[in-house]
Amino acid sequence: MTRSFILSAGIGDPALADPAMAGEILSAAEAAGVDLLLLGRNDSLLFDPQVIAAWAAPRVSRVGLVPLVSSRIAHPFHVARSLSAIDYLSGGLLGWAPVAQGGSAAQLADMVRATRALWDGWDDDCLIIDKASGRYLDTTKVRASNYVGTHYAVRGPVNAMRPKQGHPVLVCDAASPFAVPGIDVVIAAEGQAFPAAARRLLRVDAGADMAALTARFSAGEIDGLHIELTHPAAELARIGKALAPLTQGRPAAGTLRERLGLPLSLRNIHEEIA
Amino acid sequence: MPRPIHLWAFLQGIGHYPSGWRHPGAEPEGVFTMDYYARVGRLVEKGRFDAIVFGDQLQSRGVRGRTPEHLAMPTLDPMALLSAIASVTQHVGLVNTLSTTYWSPEGLAERFATMDRMSGGRAGWNIVTTAHPDTAPNFGDEELPEKSQRYKMAAQTVAQAQAIWRERNAALGPSPQARPVFVQAGQSGDGRDFAASIAEAIFCSAPTIEEGIAFRNDMRARVAAAGRDPDAVRIMPGLSFILAETEAAAIAKDQAILDLADEALCIEYLSESLNCDLTGFDPAGPIPVDHILSQTCFPKADIGRALEKPAAIGLPLGKFASGYVRTPRGHNVFRGTASQLANMMIQWVDAGACDGFTLQPAYMPGELEIFVEEVVPILQAAGVLRTEYPGSTLRETMGLPRWPADMAA
Ligand SMILES: Cc1cc2nc3c(=O)[nH]c(=O)nc-3n(C[C@H](O)[C@H](O)[C@H](O)COP(=O)(O)O)c2cc1C
Repeated sequence: MTRSFILSAGIGDPALADPAMAGEILSAAEAAGVDLLLLGRNDSLLFDPQVIAAWAAPRVSRVGLVPLVSSRIAHPFHVARSLSAIDYLSGGLLGWAPVAQGGSAAQLADMVRATRALWDGWDDDCLIIDKASGRYLDTTKVRASNYVGTHYAVRGPVNAMRPKQGHPVLVCDAASPFAVPGIDVVIAAEGQAFPAAARRLLRVDAGADMAALTARFSAGEIDGLHIELTHPAAELARIGKALAPLTQGRPAAGTLRERLGLPLSLRNIHEEIA
Repeated sequence: MPRPIHLWAFLQGIGHYPSGWRHPGAEPEGVFTMDYYARVGRLVEKGRFDAIVFGDQLQSRGVRGRTPEHLAMPTLDPMALLSAIASVTQHVGLVNTLSTTYWSPEGLAERFATMDRMSGGRAGWNIVTTAHPDTAPNFGDEELPEKSQRYKMAAQTVAQAQAIWRERNAALGPSPQARPVFVQAGQSGDGRDFAASIAEAIFCSAPTIEEGIAFRNDMRARVAAAGRDPDAVRIMPGLSFILAETEAAAIAKDQAILDLADEALCIEYLSESLNCDLTGFDPAGPIPVDHILSQTCFPKADIGRALEKPAAIGLPLGKFASGYVRTPRGHNVFRGTASQLANMMIQWVDAGACDGFTLQPAYMPGELEIFVEEVVPILQAAGVLRTEYPGSTLRETMGLPRWPADMAA
């Protein structure tokens, strides 16, 4: 099987909270073959990345939307519901990038675990929706999570469906790591160690020599690049061209997990991995 | 000029009737897809409604750990839905319910500020305090704060959110409405006073025109006493409806939907309303009054009174539950033709019973489609419903004063 190159881009510019600008950036990202679009910047959030991701959901056909989710202000009950909805509305194109934003790494990890526990309160096949018999739901497939961590205690079940992808793609920034199993994608800068993850992306700036980086992908050192954008539309056009040999011909359909070759459902990930 | 009628669409889940999802015109799978919400959002805009409203709960709609099997309970997060609908519509307002008890001022301020920008000024906030005891354990608490305490927290949270919006508007330039339109739905004295102090629109239940008039008069007096202009507050009671070619056909259609609510579904609905699992009891047996009163977390005196008579005449549990489902949630339920409904709406507004209606279709999306195709043109011809939107923000659409740019008020 040939490995697919992963192109990730990040944008934290408050211009993203302008619908006309956001629309342009999304179109440019689609055209450039972006797989993951990280919304928000670690140091400051000038807008709510989950609202932007939800707004963007009806407008994307391949770009994976990856809101930064700050454990400083986000409660797992709210996070689990909001991300589940965006995953459905985008047709399974959601990821999430938890960040501590000045809070502790322990709290960040706890937020991720609690959120996953809430998703796992519902089985993938719990809905019956049979008009004839009147059975809507198989109640044996819904459970209270009774999650008790160091920072959060959340009983559940959450009043939202399990996300379309089971769990949205979990993206970890090596600069703001969290200790949970089953991280899907990790982003690290040059010289920084990659925490364990299914896919490794190297953080570069938009001016980097793409040809040289391509060689490192071919050598199997990395699975793709993450580029922090400062002038999104122009940079996306240029990067799209420079990386076209790697990004063209990749699968464009399916959920983000399917496209990245990540397992679809991660139910009870704690038990499976532990 | 006749008084304008404001329309809101309350689009929670799959319709207002618990059995609505089983109707042939219902699309229960749709509520998990973007296509459905895009279609519904555009439909509401075609009907020139002011806004789409979503309620919200922060607990599973289960009963003491058991999730209902026959009720269409699982939903998607309203804020995500409204943000996505903002993306595929241009005019319709987007009113989201967020709890001041279980949201941080920072989190909700950021959420609404972004939503106001992304929607071009169409955000509204239904400010609730969260009344269900099952919410507390989802936020690490054993019990809800007591009600007057929750309203105190609400006033504080709103003030803190306003301060954050003021700062953000100064730093980034104001969002189109500077802050969302404030909506409230309190019924108690505390709730009404809180609404009178801040709400620009009020959602309530008014089953009869007399109750509507009494509520609106009371609220207008409270708003005036709070030093605000009563004409700058819209009262929007819930209105559920079943439409057909003739009144008899509408009554038959209503009956047919109610018949889809078999006893099992009705008992689950009653259980959910009382927060007391009754699914283990024999539907042919007596109403387990003692069990209900020992289990329910809602006011025992009210519930005891409601159960007294049916229990005394020996009404079986299943029959009682079936009757209960016929009066969903205390809102006005209309059955009849499109022109009868239009006339009723005009009559209510003329009588001062309300400023408009929060429409709750019995099933979705079929019943809402009928309303937009048939009732909307009648209201427009009567000159009580706009044919074009007056502006782009929700405040303009609702004819509410602009919020002062410095938000000093
Ligand atoms: C028509 C109506 C709709 C409401 N919708 C919600 C809702 O979606 N979520 C919620 O938490 N509370 C909702 N509430 C509850 C109120 O906001 C309020 O918290 C509750 O009625 C208790 O306060 P009260 O005793 O002042 O009425 C609603 C109330 C009414 C009357």
